Amino acid sequence: MQTVIQVSLSGHSNAFQLEEEGYKALREYFERARARLRRDPDHEEVLRDLEQSIGEKLRHSLRSENRVISRREVEVVLDEVGAVNTGNGDAPAGAADADRPRRLYRIEEGKWFFGVCQGLAAYSGIAVEWVRAIFVVVSVFTGGIPVLIYLVLMFALPTVRTYDEYRSSLRTQSGAI
Amino acid sequence: MDPDKFNTLRKGLLEFLILGIVSSGRVYVADLLQRLSKTDFATQEGTLYPLLSKMRREQLLDYEWQESETGPPRKYYKLAASGRKHLAEFREYWKSLTSLIDELGKPSCKQ
Repeated sequence: MQTVIQVSLSGHSNAFQLEEEGYKALREYFERARARLRRDPDHEEVLRDLEQSIGEKLRHSLRSENRVISRREVEVVLDEVGAVNTGNGDAPAGAADADRPRRLYRIEEGKWFFGVCQGLAAYSGIAVEWVRAIFVVVSVFTGGIPVLIYLVLMFALPTVRTYDEYRSSLRTQSGAI
Repeated sequence: MDPDKFNTLRKGLLEFLILGIVSSGRVYVADLLQRLSKTDFATQEGTLYPLLSKMRREQLLDYEWQESETGPPRKYYKLAASGRKHLAEFREYWKSLTSLIDELGKPSCKQ
């Protein structure tokens, strides 16, 4: 038994019939696209453009047959359209970075000792002065537990030299522009 | 050579290439993709649509809808006045840049 899901796409009057797995792939694509475009004031329009374009490509792969579209076919079309990429350098800092998986590093730029606090600050988005202040206050009240954590992180974390390096290390996208 | 090395440069230039292509007349996204496909600047809808929408917000481009025989109506893009100016400025700048780069290279070539 196979579940078929009817999907209507912007600009296309006829619904598309997708295999359930194909529908999931399509839905995931649009969830990611929406998340990446959330700072774009025209995101609804861009999403409609993409829907229409995907619809045209699906229609093309159907060759006017009236049948169910497989997951494979959906994936081929999504590959062709490519993931939404807004990385053209003018997004406010941190906006595009927020989607990427974050990792903890030691950052040498502006460090006092080994850059662990700098790394925590960059990771959490909290100003480094606050991270240090919290560090000191908690150390005083707990008899130095944060110092132990600091020592562990000092050895465990990979190091980058600058904030720029930290940001670019988080960029998973490369290849297609 | 490392193909990623010039990636940042290409990303920045894509916008001007789009202006260049659109300056030749009204174009549809598929035309843009096709024109770029055989170049180093090959790209995809996922990149192009957000960029075109940004360029329209900046009033470099404009579009109009046109009926299509094979499917839904399509957006045809054309240059807006400031896009034309932008492109002319870019071409001037590019010329000065290439001549600068050529000149910089000369002394080290002779050695």
